[in-house]
Amino acid sequence: MKKRYYIVMLRILAPVLAIVLSALISSAVILAIGKSPLQVFYTIFKFSLSRLDSIAIILYNATPLIFSGLAVSIGFRMGLFNIGVEGQYLIGAFFAALAGFAIKGLPVFVHLPLVILCGALGGMLWSFIPIYLKVKRGVHEVISTIMLNYISYSLIHYLIADVFLDRSQKLVEGLGGILTRTPKLPPSALMPKLHVFLGLFGIQLPRHVYLNWFFPLGLLMAYLIYYLLMHTPFGFEIRSVGQNPEAARTAGIKPERVYMAGFLLSGAVAGLVGLSDLLSYFGYMDLDFPRNYGFDGIAVALIGQNNPLGIVLSAILFGFLKRGAEGIQTQLNVPMDTIVILQAVMIMSIVVITKVMNDYIKRLERKESVICSSQNSSLPA
Amino acid sequence: MERAVVLKGITKRFPGIVANDGIDLEVKKGEIHAIVGENGAGKSTLMKILAGIYQPDEGEIYIFGKRERITSPGRAIELKIGMVHQHFMLVDRFTVLENIILGAEKRAGITIDEKNSRKMIEELLSLYNFSLDLDARVEEISVGQAQRVEILKVLYRGADILVLDEPTAVLAPQEVKELFVNLRRLKEEGKTIIFISHKLDEVLEIADRITVLRRGRVVGTVMPSEVTKEELARMMVGKPVFMKLEKASVPTGEVLLSVKDLVVKESTGKTVVNGVSFEIRGGEIYGIAGIEGNGQKELAEAILGLRQISSGQVTICGRNAGNLSVREIRDLGVAFIPEDRHRQGLILPMKVWENMVLGFHRKKEFLKGRSLNLKAIRKFAEKKSEEFLVMLSSIEQSIEGLSGGNQQKVILGRELSREPEVIIASQPTRGLDVGAAEFVHKELLKKREEGKAILLISADLEEVLSLSDRVGVIYNGRITAEFKPEEVTLEDIGVYMLGGEVKAGEGA
Ligand SMILES: Nc1ncnc2c1ncn2[C@@H]1O[C@H](COP(=O)(O)OP(=O)(O)OP(=O)(O)O)[C@@H](O)[C@H]1O
Ligand SMILES: [Mg+2]
Repeated sequence: MKKRYYIVMLRILAPVLAIVLSALISSAVILAIGKSPLQVFYTIFKFSLSRLDSIAIILYNATPLIFSGLAVSIGFRMGLFNIGVEGQYLIGAFFAALAGFAIKGLPVFVHLPLVILCGALGGMLWSFIPIYLKVKRGVHEVISTIMLNYISYSLIHYLIADVFLDRSQKLVEGLGGILTRTPKLPPSALMPKLHVFLGLFGIQLPRHVYLNWFFPLGLLMAYLIYYLLMHTPFGFEIRSVGQNPEAARTAGIKPERVYMAGFLLSGAVAGLVGLSDLLSYFGYMDLDFPRNYGFDGIAVALIGQNNPLGIVLSAILFGFLKRGAEGIQTQLNVPMDTIVILQAVMIMSIVVITKVMNDYIKRLERKESVICSSQNSSLPA
Repeated sequence: MERAVVLKGITKRFPGIVANDGIDLEVKKGEIHAIVGENGAGKSTLMKILAGIYQPDEGEIYIFGKRERITSPGRAIELKIGMVHQHFMLVDRFTVLENIILGAEKRAGITIDEKNSRKMIEELLSLYNFSLDLDARVEEISVGQAQRVEILKVLYRGADILVLDEPTAVLAPQEVKELFVNLRRLKEEGKTIIFISHKLDEVLEIADRITVLRRGRVVGTVMPSEVTKEELARMMVGKPVFMKLEKASVPTGEVLLSVKDLVVKESTGKTVVNGVSFEIRGGEIYGIAGIEGNGQKELAEAILGLRQISSGQVTICGRNAGNLSVREIRDLGVAFIPEDRHRQGLILPMKVWENMVLGFHRKKEFLKGRSLNLKAIRKFAEKKSEEFLVMLSSIEQSIEGLSGGNQQKVILGRELSREPEVIIASQPTRGLDVGAAEFVHKELLKKREEGKAILLISADLEEVLSLSDRVGVIYNGRITAEFKPEEVTLEDIGVYMLGGEVKAGEGA
């Protein structure tokens, strides 16, 4: 019985331990650049967690990663690798931007949902190509999604820099040309921040914090996907096909159909990844629109073990690392590249350590249930 | 006499179950020692302990008198213990020779010393009187030959103690005979053989001694001359088993399944089912006897809609099923018990209750609104597990942890509880113990009495003959002969199964 508590403890401690151990490993990197690991970590924690606004920024950082981790995980659950979340979210963001600046005069409660819907639609559209190619032609989704990522980069560039370039911008004084960006979205298309809502509880956030309603939407999405997977026939089919497509087919489930629907769903969720940035921070899409959320999402899904709650937590962990990186960059004057390396080392060691820990816990659990069962089995059968 | 293996107090626990509970076993050098027992009795577990795959939680192992700890399969090989698993572990695209040396290659510099290996294997072949073409690809050889390859693999690694887990489950009668000749020869050369089987006749024929396990414990060790099949069955199950099937005479009804000139091709263009025709009426069991790999798998899959039909016609309950999907065909009332339960029947990492409704999860009774009614599903799974006597610790258990026979019962529970009109049963009792097999046979006969049409595909001739109303023998994708079971002998059918013809006057 004591052991059972031990297991529960380990479960909770596992990620913490993973982080601590990975910190030890990253210490080597820090030492290599001639800084003190203690000072660096102290700065990370102090900078990230000592102030409320900083915590809000962490959650803001986590928001796109929740969506992208979820999008990737839907693919993983079906046994497919959606490497294309990257491209899907860029296209989704562009669709949302288009619906934002092209339509005018709608009230916010119509316009904003429409913009979000268009984001999902864009991501879905971009995910349709690889899954169609897979189901009909047998093209491996990893190859087609990687290629489509490249295409989406260039396509977005072309659309922003040429077709939909905002030519009505006033010339900024002292600068030769206009900014390469789309027209600005009207307020009716923007996502409100959480400030007013949190204000009701006496939490005051400064203006430079962009935490917005996409964060609670991300949590809701995580719950919905959990519900879909574990409580609906379609989710059951996703899991069946992911574990053994041949048995699923024999049971009358069409794996191709599940792949198609599931991948489109993954693409739709991916389409929402960039919207928190687009609709609350930028208000337009330009060439500097954030990249790599799609790839980070793969790591988030892996650390979160494709479990929606795990994904939320690991997305927050990533948000924390990003915030901490900003801290050591500004306060300790550590070059950006080192921070990128540091982040990569941390992520990698966390992935490895959680895996090892989880295997260990599983083994313990097995032993535990054996003890219980041998108690039972002493009864005559 | 020297003792090859002595086990003392071996205990092995899995979550929720004690698979081996203080097992004592002695195997003499040079004997053929059979191990029998119900599904889930712990036979495979015990053998895997001997082969270094599992570690016992308690107990001692002595190999040729020396206390040993068999910490890994590699250690088992050092101790000259080799295991032939029930499921073959061969590389299809490799030749027989390559498969035998794989993992134990002799080297000549950085290359594989094929010449020497070949010489060694040829010596083994002639010593034990095995016939095998070393250069044939494994994908081209028969099941019986594949088994010989597995045995040779073990011998090549120098095994003196051979462990065979259900080696005869997939073999035709003639192949079983050949295997037994091989085993006797191995015994003459001083090898020790431990083998597991559910077929009691075989066990009584080949074994020097028989150990019976029940629920992880040894019930007793007997000599075959001292027991009858019935007594052995009773030792296993703990109560009498009646091995006579009561086949009521049932009036036949409409034709529920009709297959006409069916041709099925592989993607490579090879014809695997070559003009098969038969009709099954309600209240009828049509048996297809044949050695595995002669088109029966493809035939079943084509009827179920899993395979494209090249030409010919499949009619189910009066409807042309030629271009219906699997879902539609199943909705017509077709149940399917696949021969390969791990690949087609179950989703291994999923739980028992999830597997219990696989494919039926969209039925009204399992839905609440648009969501799954988990409570109803769990209740259904509980009920069916009880009804079909599935041995498990909980329906929340992953199906992986069930013994082979119990996994089969889950499939049966799922497929037979849906009021099917047509049942395609491929090797439905493969790997089942006598009690469970009897249970399945009774279920099939019950469905027959209820007026359902049953296609029974089996390599187990006795099963086919005792259950079927008519039997077709399949060879090379064709039905080469059709009989009423009372018209033929086992031997005749066996000859047809191997592609021979029974000359007039010799048959019946
Ligand atoms: N890896 C495992 N994890 C959990 N439980 C297991 C595992 N392997 C076996 N068991 C359990 O141990 C018991 C004995 O299983 P085992 O495979 O040894 O039975 P068996 O005698 O070989 O049965 P069968 O005739 O059906 O093959 C079963 O109840 C099974 O559920
Ligand atoms: Mg077994």
